Amino acid sequence: MGLGTASAVGAAYGLSVWGPAEPSAATTRHGSNVASARGKTLVIVELGGGNDGLNTVVPLNDNRYHDLRPTLGVTEPILLDTKLSGDEVGLHPSLPKLAARFDRGNVAIVEGLGYDDADLSHFGSFAIWWSALGGAGGGAGGAGWLGAYLDGTVGFDDPLAAIGIGPGPSPALRGRESFATTIANDNGLQPRLPSWLQVSSFEAGESLAQEWSDFTPSQVDESTLLGQVQRAIGLTVKARTNLAKVLSSAAESDTTRPTTAGVQAQRARYQDASVAYSLVLAAELVQSSAKPRIVYVNGVGDFDTHEGQSARHPALLQQLDDGIQAFFDALPAAQHDDVVLMTVSEFGRRPAENGSGTDHGTANVHLIVGGDGDGGVRGGRYGEPPSLTSLDRAGNLVHSADFRRLYATGLQWLGVDQTSPILGDDFEAFPVFH
Amino acid sequence: MSVSTRERISHVVRRLSMGAHPDLVAALESPDAAIARALDLSAAAPVLPSMVPPSSYDEQQPIDIVPTIAWWLGQMQTSPRLIEERLVWFWHDHFATSLAKVRVPYLLHQQHATVRALATGSFADLLHAMAKDPAMLGYLDGVTNQVENVNENFGRECLELFTMGIGGGYTQDDVVAASRACSGWVVNVPGRRFSARLTELGAGPWGSIFIPFRHDDGEKELLGQRGAFDLDGALDVILEHPSTARYVAGKLYRELVGLEADDQTAKRLGDDFARDWSIMGLVESTVAEPAFTSNAAVRSKVRTPVEKLVGIAHAGALPGEGSTAAVDLRVVAGRSRAGDQVVGVGEALRTIGFIPFVPPNVSGFPEGTLLLGPHQLVHTFDLLQVLPTAPAVGPGGVEDVDALMARFGVFDITKSTRRVLERERDPGRQFTLAAMSPEFAVT
Repeated sequence: MGLGTASAVGAAYGLSVWGPAEPSAATTRHGSNVASARGKTLVIVELGGGNDGLNTVVPLNDNRYHDLRPTLGVTEPILLDTKLSGDEVGLHPSLPKLAARFDRGNVAIVEGLGYDDADLSHFGSFAIWWSALGGAGGGAGGAGWLGAYLDGTVGFDDPLAAIGIGPGPSPALRGRESFATTIANDNGLQPRLPSWLQVSSFEAGESLAQEWSDFTPSQVDESTLLGQVQRAIGLTVKARTNLAKVLSSAAESDTTRPTTAGVQAQRARYQDASVAYSLVLAAELVQSSAKPRIVYVNGVGDFDTHEGQSARHPALLQQLDDGIQAFFDALPAAQHDDVVLMTVSEFGRRPAENGSGTDHGTANVHLIVGGDGDGGVRGGRYGEPPSLTSLDRAGNLVHSADFRRLYATGLQWLGVDQTSPILGDDFEAFPVFH
Repeated sequence: MSVSTRERISHVVRRLSMGAHPDLVAALESPDAAIARALDLSAAAPVLPSMVPPSSYDEQQPIDIVPTIAWWLGQMQTSPRLIEERLVWFWHDHFATSLAKVRVPYLLHQQHATVRALATGSFADLLHAMAKDPAMLGYLDGVTNQVENVNENFGRECLELFTMGIGGGYTQDDVVAASRACSGWVVNVPGRRFSARLTELGAGPWGSIFIPFRHDDGEKELLGQRGAFDLDGALDVILEHPSTARYVAGKLYRELVGLEADDQTAKRLGDDFARDWSIMGLVESTVAEPAFTSNAAVRSKVRTPVEKLVGIAHAGALPGEGSTAAVDLRVVAGRSRAGDQVVGVGEALRTIGFIPFVPPNVSGFPEGTLLLGPHQLVHTFDLLQVLPTAPAVGPGGVEDVDALMARFGVFDITKSTRRVLERERDPGRQFTLAAMSPEFAVT
C-alpha cells in the first residue's frame, strides 16, 4: 500500500488549536508542557470483530429479543439499579463487576450508535469508525480521528501523548502531522539483541539506540516512503527514551520511581496478553509522568462471533469485565477522576441468530466508564435503544444516534468543544460528565 | 530521486521473490534480465514434506506448525523459482487463514500444499480449491453454514476480499445468496461424531465433503443471475463479474509494482486476466508495465518482517559464499522451539506479530505504515538473532559501506545512512545497523 501524500490536507489542520478557547502556554501546539489540557486521559478499548451489543446490554421487556435469539438469548441478565437503568436493560451475566460499577453510578450505557448506509464489512466499517467519516470517504491512508486531534494539538512534540497498546498501530491514531507510540507490552520497546553483538543493553556503551536514531537526518523528505521511515526511526527512539523514564519494567527504568502497589498487584494477576494486561499497562502510563491524553487498546479478542457464540462471547465479556476492574484497581483513588474508559467496535451483530452465532450487524451500544470518584461519569442510559421490530432490509438494527456523538463525548473529556475539524461536523456530546 | 541500475535490478528481484540474494543480483546485467530470471520456472518445484495427520482435533498443538514455517522460510531463502515464492506468499495473504482459529496445524500444512501447487496456475482453480479447503471451511465457518442457518462469514469475505473487492458492485443480498450457495460443506475430523460416516461418503480424514441435505438448494439471485447455485456455480458467477478480475489484478499490481493501478490499467490487466485466469500471464503483463521498473516504484513498499528475515539470512554470508552459508532458515527456524516455548526466530516473528499461518485477520497481514509502529520497528533488531554467530567479515575488517549494503541488496544509500555506517568501527554493530537502516526497511 502506498502511503499517499501525507500533508496536503494536514496543512489546513496543522496550526489550528481546538482545545480550550483561550489556550494557555501549556496547551498550545508547540508548548513545552504537552500534558493534556485538563490533565485527563481518554482510554479507548476497541472490541474488534463487532461486539454483540444485544447480548452485552440485554433488553428486558421486548419479547422480540428471545424470538430473534432462541438459543443465544441471555436468559438471566444481571438486573441493574432501576433508578439508573429504567428497568429496561440488564447486563450479560459475565459482566458482574461492571454491573456493580453501573449501580454505583459510574457507567454510561450509550445505545443506538451507528451511521447511515451501514457498511457490513469489518474493514469498510472500521475505516469509517477509525476516520470518523460517517458513511462516506472513510478509507485507507487518511488520518484517524484521534490522529486529527493530535495533529491539531501535540503534533510531533510528544510521542507519548497518545499511546496504542496492541499488536500494531491503530489507524485511529494515524495523524498527518503527528505521531503516536504503539507498544505491545511493558518492556518499554526493548529489543532482544543477538548474543554475538556483545552489547549488554541497547543503551550500553556508545549507545546503539543513539546510532540508530542518527539514521534520521535533520531534514526529512516526508514525500518519500524512505523519509517517512527515517522520521519513524527517530520518533521511535525518542518514544523509547521517554518510556524508559516512566515504565517500571523498562530496562533503563529509573528505579527510584517504583510502580504503584495497585499496578503491581494487578500485573501479578494478569500476565498474559489479555485486555486486563493491556489495561493495567494503561493504568501504569496514566499515573506516570508521561500523562498520555489518549491510550488506545486494540487486539484484545475476536468478537466476530459468527459461530460458537454461546461459549466465545461470554468469555470475551468476562475478560472485558476483569480488564475494566483491573484498570481501576491499578489506579490510585486520587486519579479515578482523571480517566474515562470508552468502548468502540466496528458494528454490532445481527439481531436474528444464525444457529450457532450472529452475522454482521449495524447499530450498537457502547460504554463510557468512569472511576469511583465524583468527577467523572454520571451513570445511566443515554441515546435511544434501537427497535427490535423495525429492522432494516437485512434484518439489522436502525441506529438512533450518530456514532460520532460518542467521539464528541470522548473529545469533550479531553477539553475539545468544537469537533468539526476532527469529526467533519459539530456533534453533540452526550451529557455523561459531571 | 535518481535510481541506479543496480538498485533497479535489485528492485526487480526483490519484488518478484521473497528476497534478493546478493550473488544473484550481482550476476544480472539489466532489469529485463532480472525479470527473465525471476519468472523462470524451469527448475523443479520443491516438495513440501508431508506431515503426519493427527488422529483427533486435539492431538496437535499450534506450535506443531513450526516445521512447516521453517521449511517455507527455507524456500524463500533458497528456491530458484523466485516468482513462485512471491506468489505463494501473496496467495497466503490473499486467502488469509489463521491457525489461531483453525487450531490444527495439519490443516494449514495441507492448505499450504494446495496454495503452492496452484500459485502459478489458474486463479479460477485456486479460488475453487480455497473455497472447499478444510482450513478455510473452518476459518470462515463454512462448516456451520447450512440450510436454514446460513452463516455469512465466508460468503461476505469471499466477495469482499477474495474476488470482487469492497465497492465491487455486490450487495447484502448477494452476500446472502453466495452464502446460501456455499452451504453444505463439512470437514471430516477424525474422532468426531459422524467421522466414520463421512469416511464412508468419501471424505478422507481431514478432507472436506459436500453434504446435500445441509445445502440450501433453492433458487438464488446472485449478481443479477438466477439459479439454484451451489458453491462451484456461485464461484463461476462471481468469476464472470468483471470486478473480480480487475480487483485481483489491481491487488497483484500493488504487490509487485508497489503503486496503485489506475482504473484504466486495472481494467486492462483484469479483462485480459479473465480470459484464462492464468496467474503467470497476469504477472507477465504486470511486470511489462513501464511503471514496474519506474523510479516511483522503487522503494515504494515497506519491507515485511518475513522479507527482512530472509534478507538478513542472505546478507550474513560474504559475496560468493551462497545463499545458506551464514544460516539455513530451514534449520534455524525449525529449532526455534524449546519445550513449549517458541524462541529465536519464531519468538522474534511472534513479537512483531507477523507469523506465517497466523495473519491477524481475514484481510491478511499488515502492510505500509501499519508496519512502521515503534513496537515493530524496534523489534526488527530481534530478527538478527537468526544469525547464530557474528556475520562474516571480509579480509579488510569493517566493510566498505557500499559492499556491506550490497549484501542486503541495497545499492542507493542516503548520506545520513552512509555517515552512520562509516562511523561504526565494530563489524557486528555495523552489520546490525545496516539491517536496521531506513533503506533496508523499504523495498
